[in-house]
Parts: sequence; structure tokens; C-alpha cells
Amino acid sequence: MGFWQRVSQLDRRWIYLAVALAVIFPLLVPMKMKLGITPEARQLYEAIETLPDSSVVMLTFDYYPSTVAETRPMSIAALHQMFRKNLKVITMTTIPLGGPSMADRTMKLMGDLYHKTYGVDYVNLGYKANYTAVLLGMGSSIESIYPSDQYGTPLANLPLMQTVKNYDQISFIFIVADNGIVDNWISIVNAQFSTPMGAGVTAVMAPKFYSYVQAKQMTGLLGGMKGAAEYEMLVNKPAMALIGMDSQSLAHLLIIGFVIAGNVAYFATRKKKESKG
Amino acid sequence: MKTKLPIAIAFLSGLAMVAVFILNPEKVGDMEGELLQWTTVIGGFTLLLGVVSIVRVNWRPVVRRETGWFNNAALLLSVAVMAIPSVLPVSWSPLFGTDGGSMYDWFFINLSAPMMATMFAMLAFYVASAAFRAFRARSAEATLLLLTATVVMLWRVPVGEGLFVAIHSKLPNLINTYVMGGVNVAVQRGIIIGAALGAAATSLRIMLGIERTYMGKT
Amino acid sequence: MEILGLWLAGFFTLSLFSFLYKDNPFYGLAEHVFAGLSAGYEVGLVYHSVILQQLVDPISQHWVNAAAGDHPGFHIMKIGFLLFAGALGVLMFARFFPKASWISRYPLAFVMGNTAGIYLMSELHGRLIPQIAGTFVNLLNPLNLIIFFGVLTTLIYFYFSKEHTGVLGGSARVGIWFIMIAFGAHFGYTVMGRISLLIGQVQFILIDWLKLVKPG
Repeated sequence: MGFWQRVSQLDRRWIYLAVALAVIFPLLVPMKMKLGITPEARQLYEAIETLPDSSVVMLTFDYYPSTVAETRPMSIAALHQMFRKNLKVITMTTIPLGGPSMADRTMKLMGDLYHKTYGVDYVNLGYKANYTAVLLGMGSSIESIYPSDQYGTPLANLPLMQTVKNYDQISFIFIVADNGIVDNWISIVNAQFSTPMGAGVTAVMAPKFYSYVQAKQMTGLLGGMKGAAEYEMLVNKPAMALIGMDSQSLAHLLIIGFVIAGNVAYFATRKKKESKG
Repeated sequence: MKTKLPIAIAFLSGLAMVAVFILNPEKVGDMEGELLQWTTVIGGFTLLLGVVSIVRVNWRPVVRRETGWFNNAALLLSVAVMAIPSVLPVSWSPLFGTDGGSMYDWFFINLSAPMMATMFAMLAFYVASAAFRAFRARSAEATLLLLTATVVMLWRVPVGEGLFVAIHSKLPNLINTYVMGGVNVAVQRGIIIGAALGAAATSLRIMLGIERTYMGKT
Repeated sequence: MEILGLWLAGFFTLSLFSFLYKDNPFYGLAEHVFAGLSAGYEVGLVYHSVILQQLVDPISQHWVNAAAGDHPGFHIMKIGFLLFAGALGVLMFARFFPKASWISRYPLAFVMGNTAGIYLMSELHGRLIPQIAGTFVNLLNPLNLIIFFGVLTTLIYFYFSKEHTGVLGGSARVGIWFIMIAFGAHFGYTVMGRISLLIGQVQFILIDWLKLVKPG
């Protein structure tokens, strides 16, 4: 069997091992490569940065635990910026599996870090089913959809929610999502209530939402772990996303190598087959 | 009764939402809020359907001691340890309920979330294997696709970005502007336009009773 | 308890990864435990966010207000609406009884109709029109011109009601080139996304669990 034929029939477990090593190695031996910031990330950062202090923003936890590697760093970086600016933060989630728990943990972590008071500086609305009804319903009255917050406290008993009745009192919506819910935020909330919004999404979703940024339906976009790393740099709080970019670099080079090797092996073996008969 | 009434309900509830969009929200606000609240309540109960279904499906193999019944029993036990403590009053014990520190929260953070993340992490290996075995530049179009993918994969990581900057300082910006913000926007927009038209058409079909697959056998 | 949790998380993580080598009983167990925990999670979520927070607590509050004589008619009406919503939700379970499954069509039809009505307007008003408007902007700008032609040729490519010949065929071919570039970009992003998720789990194993690497 020729060399390229052996290459084309390589056991997939060697490929898996190579990928694992490409991801592990930079974590053990960091390379700390320089990272550029895209205009879309900077646009989103500036949109929050230019809000007057004590403005009310909504931060959504519209992602499953399966994509926390990409999305949780975005939420944390966003909260660093929001709490530093003393913005009031209302959070909610449209994800039934894990969304409320992740929102709860992240908000408590960041709230304690910045010595924020629950009910005054931030409120966690939690989850309600049927996201189209939730998004539309909050336009007329948040209380009609969320009679109480995630912990069962009536909204009327929370100082922050006494001044926030619907989207009119919310200055910006920062969506962090790993699914197509961003389409609904845009088509229902931005279109009908004109609430400005921006999004941090997983890399798989990101290419689609460039259209919304171009059409000015969205202000800024973060895409995947790189987007999260960019935002960490912008808020000057380097963390897990930035650490992961070295592994990302090596893994991408490996994948490109696999594509090239696979194609070379394919064409080499095809040529041999054609010349034989 | 069994078919005509649901169709009428679908039409009227859809019409109500269209009316809400067109009419003054101050006049219809209360009605809208009430209807949307019903929708969220029904949606919540719908989530439980899956739970009942999974318990029914896994109960039988355990009772009949079919092959692999141990795994089915583990599933049922997992449902129980998550569900039962979560519905008991917090006043009985801080382990009950769903707040931080409860069994519900502990099992989610330490078991459910990492496993969910791992399931998706495995896709990285599959995409690498697919890249090696399946992505072939068999035609000019496929070659263009692979070349663009290579450029974007390099552009999105520091090492590739550094390489592009070394070629020309504005190259990463040009890729962002003309590939992502130009060609990509154009194609995605075409797809969005098509999808929006399709979604609107399907919504109209549901409201008019032409699309009835959600009712099952009629 | 935290250490036990970390080690359980690590054990199940490696159990799932073991499938990459070969299917094995550890993977099977982890798979079933994961499915069970996910189902159990929904029970707690629905009980608290729907049954307690949207039904029981508001009904209790309205009852107290009605009993106190504060607009009793209004509060009784609200209680009626909430009980009706709860009843509709319970009717969904009729699906599990073959002879009575038709009853579940009522709440389902209500939700489907409601959602369809919202989508009908939001898709046209919120997506279609703004996206078309975003295409017709300052066509003297080369970038906007690329977008304009790209959208046009992409839509022409996906129009299958007429044979792709002549001008239509030529435009569709241009559309294919645009689509290949966009899908190539999408593929690049997808690879990035998948690798990122693996990086996250490797970070958990090396940093959080085994503490072989210090963060930062």
C-alpha cells in the first residue's frame, strides 16, 4: 500500500488524538499571541460604554450549558462593563434547560464581586415558556409575563422593577445566545418597540447576524470564543476566552492541515487508480 | 368539534395577535397580556409532556428486565433525584427547592452542565475527522468554498491574523469588510428573506387551517 | 461536597469522551444519567416558574384582595382567567390517552394560532422589510453594490420555479459563487465554534478538576 493510500485510510482515532493534543498543548505552554479587535465588537462595547450611568439594560442568558465555553465569557465580560458603569441590569432567559441556573450563578458571582444589591442594582427574572409570547408580552408589561422574579419575589416588591414596566424604560438589550432567538429579539422587540440591541452569539450562528448589523437592526456583534476574547480585552478583564485562543490557533492550523492532507491523499490515490486502469 | 373547533381557535387567537399589532396598544394591552400569559402557561405544561414520555418509555424495560435495563433504571433514578427534591418546600430543608445550595442546583452544576458541554465538545473531533475524510475540492465551487473556509479559519485566530497583517496591515480588516460584511451578508440576507417569507406563509396557513399537522391524525 | 461534585463531573466527562475510542458501558451509563437529569430539571423548572409563580401565587394574591373587598369583581375575573389557563395546560396531558387525545388539540391550537399570529407580523415587519431596505442603500458604495448583487443573485439561485437558462441561468451561476464564499466562511466559523467547545471542556479538566494548569 502506497504512502498516500495509507494516509487516506488513517484510523480516525489518530485524528482525534491530534486534535486533543493541539488543544491541550497551548494550555500547558501558553503562547499569548496578540489578538485584533473587530469593528463589530468595538461597536457593541461603545454602545454600552456611551450609556449614561444608572441606565437600565437587559442582559439575556439565551444559551444552553453546552455552549458555555463561548457564551459565558461574553456574559461575564459584559457584566464587568455594566457593573463598573453602575448600570442597572435585568436578566432573563428563554432557555428551559439550564438557562435559569446559569443566569443565577453568573449574576450572583458578578453581583458579589461588585458589591451590588439584588433588587436594587440587578434583578433576575428567570424563565417563562414560549419565547415569542414572552418577548412580545414584555413590550406592554413585564409583570404580565413575570409576576415574580426567578426566586418567587413579586416584582412589585423589587425597587428596580418599580421603575421598569416594559421595554420603554430599558436603554439597551445585550443578547447572549446560542440559537436563533436573536431573530425573534430583532423581529419582535427591535422592530416593534425600537429597543436598541446587540448580541454575542456562538461562532456557528455569527455569520448570519452580520446582516442585522449591516441593516442597523443590531448594534454590534460578538462571534464565538474570539468575540468573547475581544470583549475581555475591551473591558480589560482577560479571562478564559483569551486563554483559549492559543488552543484555537493551533487547532485551526491542524484542521487546515487535515483538509490539505486529505485532498492531497485523495488526488494522489485517484491519479494512481486512473493510471492503473 | 374535534377538528373544526381547534381550527377556529387557531384562527381567532392568531387574529387577536395580528389585531394587537395593528391596533393601539393602550386599547388592547390587557387583552394581549392575558392571551400571552395563557400561552406561556400552556407552554410550561408542554415541557412536562417530555418528562412523562421519557419515564413511560424507560419504565417498561426496567419492569420487564430487558437487556440494558440497568441504564434505564439509572435514567429513572436521575429523574427522581432531580425532580423530587426540587418540588419539596425549602422550609423543610435547604436541600429542597431550586435555589443555590439545593440538590437540584448541585446536580445541575456538577453533572448535567458538564455532560451537556462534553456532548457538544465531542463535535470538535467529528469535524476534524470530516475535514480529513470528506472535504474534497472536487469542483471549482468546492475549491472556492474550501479556500474561503481556510482564509476565515486563519483570520479568526491570532496566528493567522498575524500572518495576514505581515502580508498587508489592512488585510484582516478587508476580509472582515468584504468577505463577512459583503458577500456573507448578501447570501445570509437572501436566506433570511426567503425564510421570512416562508415563515409568514406557514403562519398564515396555520391560521387559516390549511396546515393542520400539529393536530395529528384528523 | 464541592470536591465530590468536581470528581463526579470529571468522571462523567471522561465517560462521555471514552466513546471516541469505542462504545462502552461507561458511556451508556453517562448518556442515560444525562437524559434523566435533563428531564428532572424540567420538573423543578415548571413547578416553580409556571405552577407556583404564574398560577398558585397570583391566584392566592387575587383571592386575598377579593376577600379584602378591593375590587372583588376584577380579582375574581383574574382568578377565573388563571384557572382557565391552568386547565388548558392540564388538557395537554390528554395526549397520553389515545381515546381522549383529541382534547389536547384545543390548547395546542390556541398556542399555535397565537404564535402564528405573532410570527406573521414580526417576520414581515421585523425581518423582511428591514432586510430589503438594508439592501437598497447608497449603491455607489462598492460594498453596498456587492451586497445588492449578492442578494439578487442568491435569491435568483434559490428560485426553482423557472429553469435556470439564459439571463436567469447566468445570474444563478453568479449566485452560486457568492453562496460558496458565504458557506465557506460559515464553515470556517463552524469549525471555530466546535473547537471552542472542546477547549472549554479541556480547560475544565486541566484547570478546574485536575488543577494541572493555573488559570491565566
